[in-house]
Amino acid sequence: MLSKLKTNAAVEVLSKVNNLFPSTNLTVNIKVMALVAMGLTSNLVYAKETPSNASSQNFQLHGFLSQGLIDVDGSDFVNDDGELSTELTEIGLNASYKINNRFRLAGQVVYLDGGNRYAQGARVDYALLDWSAYSDDNWQANIYLGRFKNNHWLYSSSRDIPFARPSIILPQSVYFDGFRDIAVGSDGIASKISYSSDEYGDFDWQISYGTSPISDEQTKNILGDYAQGTAKQDYDSQTSLYWRPALSSWRFGMSLLEAGFTYNQSAQDFFYDADFVFQFYTLNALYEGELWEFSGEVYQQRFIVDGFYFPGFNLDNVGQGFYLQSRYKLTDKMTLLARYEDFYLDKDDKDGKALEESSGGQIPYYFGFHKDITLGLNYDITSNFSARIEYHWVKGAGRLTPVVAPNPQINNSEDWQMWAIQLMYWF
Amino acid sequence: MLLMSILVITPVLALEIVTHPQVIDNNLTKSQLRRIYTMRQLNWSDNSAITVFVLPSQHALHQRFAKERLQIFPYQLNRIWHKLTYSGLGVAPTTVQSEEELIQAVIKTPGAIGYIDTPNLQKLMAKENDDKVTLAQVVSQENTVMDSKEKDLGKGVVNVVKIKD
Repeated sequence: MLSKLKTNAAVEVLSKVNNLFPSTNLTVNIKVMALVAMGLTSNLVYAKETPSNASSQNFQLHGFLSQGLIDVDGSDFVNDDGELSTELTEIGLNASYKINNRFRLAGQVVYLDGGNRYAQGARVDYALLDWSAYSDDNWQANIYLGRFKNNHWLYSSSRDIPFARPSIILPQSVYFDGFRDIAVGSDGIASKISYSSDEYGDFDWQISYGTSPISDEQTKNILGDYAQGTAKQDYDSQTSLYWRPALSSWRFGMSLLEAGFTYNQSAQDFFYDADFVFQFYTLNALYEGELWEFSGEVYQQRFIVDGFYFPGFNLDNVGQGFYLQSRYKLTDKMTLLARYEDFYLDKDDKDGKALEESSGGQIPYYFGFHKDITLGLNYDITSNFSARIEYHWVKGAGRLTPVVAPNPQINNSEDWQMWAIQLMYWF
Repeated sequence: MLLMSILVITPVLALEIVTHPQVIDNNLTKSQLRRIYTMRQLNWSDNSAITVFVLPSQHALHQRFAKERLQIFPYQLNRIWHKLTYSGLGVAPTTVQSEEELIQAVIKTPGAIGYIDTPNLQKLMAKENDDKVTLAQVVSQENTVMDSKEKDLGKGVVNVVKIKD
C-alpha cells in the first residue's frame, strides 16, 4: 500500500518535472527523480510497513539512491571540458528470496552515471543462487552460482555502494573505475567458508572462478578509440583470507588474483591480436576503534602483454602501491577522513622517465604514477541518509582512461585536483 | 554508596534479549549472541532459522545493545550488515522503526530474536496481565518456579533469554 503510494508520488512528480522541462533528456530525469525520491523516501522511512510473519521475512528488498556534484580541475577523470558535473549518480535495487533453509536467490541492478569513469547506464551487479552447503554454531560454507560480486579486497564489495564505502572516490590504484565492470564481479562459481570461535576469532576464506563480459564501451575506455577489435576475459580466479582475532579491533586480510584476456583485431584495426595476463596481490589491515579507524592496503600487480602493438611484442610489468586511511568520529554523526595513496605502474620506473623515453615523448612521465591525498567529511543525517564532501590533490595520470592509449592533450599536467559532494539515501 | 548507585542505575539501563515463544534456546552465551547478530550463526539448536530484528542504527537502545551486549560498535555492525545486503552474500537483520514494532515482530515471527528496554518489557507484561488475554511466559532461569507457573496461565508472548558469559 505505502510502496504503491510512494511509486505513484514519484511518477506524478516525474510527470510534473517533464512538463516543466519538456526538452530534458532521460539522464536529467533520472537525476531529478533520484533527488525527489530521496526527499520523499527519507520522510517516509517511519511509515514502512512492519513485517509480520516468517513468509515476509523470506523476501527482502533493499536499495539506495545517491546524487552528487563533482568538479575536476586538470584531468579528464570525469569529463573532457573540466566543468562542474552532475555525473555522479548511483542508484541500486536488490532483492533476496529465501527458498528454504539451504537455498536463496539474490540479485542487484544498478544505474550509474560517472562520466568518463565508467559506462553510463544500468547493469546487473549480481544475480546468484546461494547454496548454504553447511552450517553449525562455528562453521558456515556457502556456494554461489551465477553472477557474484568480488569480495576479495578491502572495499571491493562496497565500492559501488555509496554509503558503505569510505569515500566518494576510492583509491584508484586498487578500485580503478576504468576497470570497474570487470573487477566488480564475475559470472561463474564462488565459495565462502567462515569459521568463528572464542579462541581463534573469525576467519573468512573465499575462492571464485569466472569471467566478466567486456562491452565495446569498456574496451574503448581501456584500450582507446583506436581499438576496433573485441576484447574478452578468458578467466578470473581469485582467493582471499580474512582474520579477525577473538574480540580484537583489528582485522587482517590477503588476496590473490589472476585474470587472462584476449584481444581479437578487426579487419581494419590499429592494433593486433593479443593475450594479456593480469596478476594482483594484496595485503590489508583494518583497525576499528570507538573514535579512530585505520586501514590500509599494500599491493603488487603484474601485467603481461603478448602482441597488441605489433605481433611478437612483449611486456612484463610489475607495478606497486599502497594507501593508508584514517577516519575519526568527531561526533556520533560526523566523521573525518584522511588518506594517502601512492602507486606506480612500473617498479623499475617509479618516476615514469623510461615510459616517456620509450614512447618517444608521446606519453609524458607523469602517466607512470598516481598519488592522491584525500580529505573528507561524512555527516549521517539519519540512520538511512548521509551527506559527504571531499577534496583530492592528485599527482600523476596513471589512473586515467583510456589506459593503453593515454590522452596527454587533455591530461596535460602532473597535478590535478577534484572535489565532490554527494547525498546518499538507502533502505 | 557504590552498591546503592548500582542498584538504582541498573534497572534503568537494563535491556533484555527476547525471542519468539517457540524458540527452544532459553540460554545463550555472549559469543553466541554476537555470532547471531553478526550473522555467523543462522540457526537455533533445533535447526530452525533465526530471524534477527534490530532498531535503526542511531536509536539509543540499539547503540546500548551493540556496545553493552555485543561489545561491537554500531558502525561495525552496519558494515557487516551492509556488506551482506548489498553484495548478495547473505541476509542482514530486519530493521524496524520503534520498540513497539520490534516487540510485535518478535511475537509474530517464528524463530525471531530482538531486544527490549526492561521497563518496556515490564509494561508489556503488565498490560498483558491487565487485559487478561494472554499472559507473558517469562522463562526466567533465575526463577524456574515462575516458569512452570506461567506455563499454566496460557500461551506465552515472548521468551526472555538469559545471556551467560
